[in-house]
This record gives sequence, structure tokens and C-alpha cells, in this order.
Amino acid sequence: MRYLMMSKASDTAPDENLYVEMGKFVEEMTAAGVLLATGGLESGGVHVTSSGDEITVTDGPFSEAKEVVVGFALVEVRSREEAIELTRRFRKIVGDGDSVIQQVFGP
Amino acid sequence: MTDAHRTIDAVWKLESARIIAGLTRMMHDVGLAEELAQDALVSALEQWPESGVPDNPGAWLMAIAKRRAIDHIRRSQRLERKHEQLAHELEHQQDPEQDDVLRLMFISCHPVLATEARVALTLRLLGGLTAEEIARTFLVNEPRIAQRIAGAKRTLAEEQVPFELPDGSELAERLSSVLEVIYLIFNEGYSATSGDDLMRPGLCLEALRLGRLLAELVPHEPEVHGLVALMEIQASRSAARTGPSGEPVQLHEQNRGRWDQLLIRRGFTAMLRAREVGGTPGRYVLQAAIAVCHAQARTSEDTDWAQIAALYEALARLLPTPIVQLNQAVALGMARGPQAGLALVDSLIGDPTLQDYHLLPAVRGDLLVRLERYEEARLEFERAASLTRNVAERAFLRRRADEIAVTGASGVTLAQAAQDFLRRDDLNAETIRSYGQTLRRMCLTLGDQMPLASLTADQVTRMFATAWGEAAAKTWNRHRSAVRSFGAWASLEHLAAGLNRRAETRPRTATIGSPQLEALWSRPDLPLRERTLWRLLHESAAGVMAVLSLNVENLDLDDRRARAGDTWVSWRSETAQLLPHLVAGRTRGPLFLADRRPGPSRMPTQADLCPETGRRRLSYERAEYLFKQATKPLDPASNGYTLRQLKPRA
Repeated sequence: MRYLMMSKASDTAPDENLYVEMGKFVEEMTAAGVLLATGGLESGGVHVTSSGDEITVTDGPFSEAKEVVVGFALVEVRSREEAIELTRRFRKIVGDGDSVIQQVFGP
Repeated sequence: MTDAHRTIDAVWKLESARIIAGLTRMMHDVGLAEELAQDALVSALEQWPESGVPDNPGAWLMAIAKRRAIDHIRRSQRLERKHEQLAHELEHQQDPEQDDVLRLMFISCHPVLATEARVALTLRLLGGLTAEEIARTFLVNEPRIAQRIAGAKRTLAEEQVPFELPDGSELAERLSSVLEVIYLIFNEGYSATSGDDLMRPGLCLEALRLGRLLAELVPHEPEVHGLVALMEIQASRSAARTGPSGEPVQLHEQNRGRWDQLLIRRGFTAMLRAREVGGTPGRYVLQAAIAVCHAQARTSEDTDWAQIAALYEALARLLPTPIVQLNQAVALGMARGPQAGLALVDSLIGDPTLQDYHLLPAVRGDLLVRLERYEEARLEFERAASLTRNVAERAFLRRRADEIAVTGASGVTLAQAAQDFLRRDDLNAETIRSYGQTLRRMCLTLGDQMPLASLTADQVTRMFATAWGEAAAKTWNRHRSAVRSFGAWASLEHLAAGLNRRAETRPRTATIGSPQLEALWSRPDLPLRERTLWRLLHESAAGVMAVLSLNVENLDLDDRRARAGDTWVSWRSETAQLLPHLVAGRTRGPLFLADRRPGPSRMPTQADLCPETGRRRLSYERAEYLFKQATKPLDPASNGYTLRQLKPRA
């Protein structure tokens, strides 16, 4: 089963050490065949809203900076617990903040 | 399971391979390493629910396991200073090496183990699956898997398989064994050979993970990337290859929008890595190239069949198995028309390995439909349906047969006629049983729905050549007389016209040459039971039945002889060395036991049942089969030998 792990913006600024640790973690998870795709996201983005026939396009950034997803990882695991365990390890590396994991269905 | 236990289970599955690999390097015994790792797991189960999962759970488990390992060494070798030193060294040893997991893979796929044992051990040691989980995915009972794993660990210890990386020419051979095991696991998940579901996704995932891991560990081997590419692309079709009610959807009818593009891209990437490494394409790279062709076609009409047919031709040269040729026939049928495909399929009909393979008639049926030979096609789909063991597939094939309207009055079918024939009351039970065997084979090969009126002597002759061409004259003649009797009853006297009676005087059995015997004895992978039985037959020159009928309580190990009915069977030193291991503490019951316990409906008499293990006496048929299989590579004619031939020349 697949899980999408999304991380939200945090206050702590990343340092050199964090990049090294993250690089190691990503490498390890890729080698283990667990990590299928990962990436960072721009912080602003574009909002596209539909209402009736009308489509509204709004450029970011938006006010609720803390709610913005800034990174994702798509993992293939045996169980929900494995996804949680991986997220736990990820959070240990990046420090204070929020991640959300949701199971992916399909394609 | 509580939440904490589920968490521990998840951690275990992520970490166990590395822990067991590291411990195996220290202890030089994979069985012991696994026990120590299990001990660490037990500690985690005791402590983590209270203390919470530690920051680095893998290191925690490893530390505990290492401490147990040191205790173990100190306990077992307390008096020797040398071991004290060893324990001291262990305490200060580095963390596990990256290659340890690779070494562990080579060990669990080692050629001294039977294929089934390799699969079970790999899932256990590298996937971290429990015996219960493995049993569930393979639909067998847990004790059998546990036994298989224990047996494998014992064999590895007995054969003193070293924990090292093979090099040179051995590497290629050992690696291909690892690839084979991974692909076997994948295939068992991808096309479940039995049961109700067409797929067991868990096994596919395990195989994919093992493959991806292996590709990182040995990045310079193109076949590894080929296998990964093949599995990624095949897995990309998982969602599309079954319909809403679980029925199979054939490749050309699949909704390509449901193919998983992420996996396809991963497959392409793996394929590129294989190409970058270079070398002559092996079996996995070729199969992956075929999968890539399919994945690149936006619609099934866009498929580059000429390219696929060419790839299959190359594959068939490398791997000339009937299954590959059958696939080649499908590709040929698409590239150059159904007639070309049918010609190749028809050349495979006489192959005994395909006689019960449902895809042969299924493919033939497809080609016949395209040639508008509908009636023949319908019979082929019927036959394919009766051959498959998979429920979803059977329903699908039945439906394909039903889609073809029955034309004309076909009258009585072969299956009905056979049933009526066997129901007569002037035959005794033994004859019915014997005739039944012949007619069941006929129905399977020619199709239940084959109209009796269209049955020809030619078809019967061909079917006999495939099914019993290699059988003993006596067997051939028994089946022949069944067909004659059936023909006479059905007023089709001509049926056996092409079947000649065979002379039953058997030529003197040739003994096996001594170079072959030497090769046989020196094979490291022979199971103990087989080794003992064959040595005993050779040394005693006794009859096969007499030897198989031996009981443990009749053995006189000191005098090297045993009572068998009215005679004595006696042996020499080689057997004498093996027998105590085979007896292994048993005190009575059959000496040679079957691999498993009999099902409730096939319970043998008390005398043929082992009171201690519940297993039955090894049958002549099974013993003969195993010997034949084992000696095929030794026999210049590749037929394999019979047990009687073990008797030394008088």
C-alpha cells in the first residue's frame, strides 16, 4: 500500500547538518525500495477555485503559512504502522513541525 | 495485536534483515543469528509498550542482540580464553557492513537448498515475515513453513555454507539463483497459481522491495536491473489486469489509463541502468525489453509486435522452454498473422511439459477464433477451463467458450460418453479405475466438450504419444486396451487404429555408470532421505519395494542389516554413516517417510504411518519420480534413471 507523507512549513531554518542527514535518509529509503518519489514544493503556489461556471485563479503566497505543504514523499509500505515509523524517523531529522500521512488509492 | 505490537512489527520488518545479517557475520551461523535477533525482538515486545519506541530502534535491537551473542559465546565456551577474547572483540566491533545484507541474500538463496526452502528463508530473513505470514500467502499450513525454514537453516549449518560474497564465475551463478527466487516470489504474487484471487499484492511488494534493494547492492549487474524493470512494469498493470468481479483482463483489452505510470517510469529507469551497464542481454533484460514494448504502446493496436516477436526469438534461443515458445507464438500470431502463430503452437502440442498447461489451449483458442475456426476454438477454451486451478481464470475461460455459439448438432460429447461407459455394471471396480485413468486423460487432452462423433484415431494417437510415449510398454498397453474397449462400446472401432501393442519383455536393466554414480554422490544438495535410500539400494542390491518397506524397529545398525519380509537387506559403510541421522531418534514405523502428512481422505494403513511424525511411508512412485528428476542432468540421454538401475552389476 502507498502513503503520501506531506510536511508543513516550520519555523526552524534548515542547516547544513539537516541536509546531510536528510540526504542519507532519502538514500537509505530509496535503496530499501520503500521511497517511490519525493520532492520539495514552492511555498506560494496558485489557488484555483471553481464556483458554478466560474473559475478563479489567485496567485500566492497565502496568509496561513503554517498550513502550507512544503514537501512530500510517496512511500510503498506493508502497513500503516510502517508509514508511521518512517514518518517518525523523518520528523526526528527535521525537528519541530507537522506532517500528515494519508493512504493513496488507485491509480 | 495492540498498537504497540503493530509498531514493533513494523520496525522489525524494516530492520530485521540488517540485524540478522550483522549477527550472522559475527556468529557464522545464520540459524543462531536469527534466534538471537528474535530474542532481541522479544525484549522489545516486553519493554517498548512501557518505555515507548527508542529513537533509533534498529540500533537498540542490534545492541540487545549483540549482548545476547556475547552471552551465548561466554556461556558455551566459558573455559577457553580464546573465546573470551572473541567475545571482547565482538563488543568493540563496528556496525554492520552494507554488504552483510547482500551476503545474507546469497545465503538464503544458496543452491544447497531446495527452491521452496530458498523462497521461505528469503521471505523470513530478508522480508522479516513470520512463518504464519508466509504460510498464509502460500496457502499452506504454518507448521510446514516453519519446518521448511528450520530444515533450511539446518542444511546451511551442516553444509557449512560460508557468509561471504562469491566471486568470479561463481558470482554469476549465485546471483542468478537470487534473481530466480525473487522472481518466483513476484510471480507467486502476480499470478497466484491456485486459490480464489488472481493476485496476492503482498508478495509482489516483497519481491519488488527485494529487487530494488539488490539493485542498489550490486549496481553493476545488468540482469538485476533487468529483473527490477520487469517487475516494476508488470506490477504497473496490477490494477488493470483484473475486472470488477476479479476476472482476468487480457493485456490487449486492459484500460491503459489504469496502468501505474509511476511504476512504468521506474521500470524504464531500471532498464536504462541495465543498458548503461551493458553486456549481452540476459533473460531478465530481454523480458523487461518486451514489457517495455507493451508499456510504450499507447493503445494495444500501437504495439510493436514485430519487435516483440524478435525479442521473444532471442529469448527462446537463450531459454528454449516451451512456455517461452508459447509466448513467442502469441507474438508471431500478432506480428505475422494467426496462421504463423498457430503453426508454432501446434509444434508444441506434443510437449509433455505443456500437456496440462491451460494457456496452451487458451492461446490456441485465441488463434483459432481469429482464423474463424470457431468450433475448434470453443473446444480449446473448454479444455483450458478444465485445466486451470485458478477459480477466476476458469470462469473467464468458460465465458470465452460460451461466447462461441454452438453450431450444428454436435451430439454426445466425449465427457458424457466416457461417463456412460464407466457407469456400466459389467465392469469390476479395478477395471473401472484403470479405464477411468485413461478416459480422464483423454478428456483433459482432447476436451470434455469434444463431440464424440468427430473424435479421430489421429487425435488419439497423438495424445498417446504425448501422454504415454515415454511410459513403460505395460502402461502403454493398459491404456491402449482401455481405448479399444471404449471404441468397441461406442461403435468407434477405428479409435485405436494408430496404437500398436508394445512388446512387454523388458530388456535387462542397464546399471548406472560409475562416473554418473560418483557425480550423484558428490552432489551437495541431496536431501538426507534421498541420499540414504539411494546409497542403501546401491550397497544392498536389494529390491526397491523391500527397501521401502523397511521399518525403524527392524534395523540392526550394529550388524548393518535389517529384516525385510523373508529376506535380509544388508549394507556397507556409506549407508551405515547416514542411517543414524535419518532415524534421528525414531524408534519405530517406516524408515523412509513422505514429506508431508497424508490428507484425511488418503489415510494409509497403520503399518504405513509413522507413529511419531504422522507421516506416511514414502511411496514407490514418489521415490522413483524424485530419483528420475535428480538424475536427469547425469543421464547422457537426459531421461533420468530408475531406482532399479542403482543395483550394481552382478
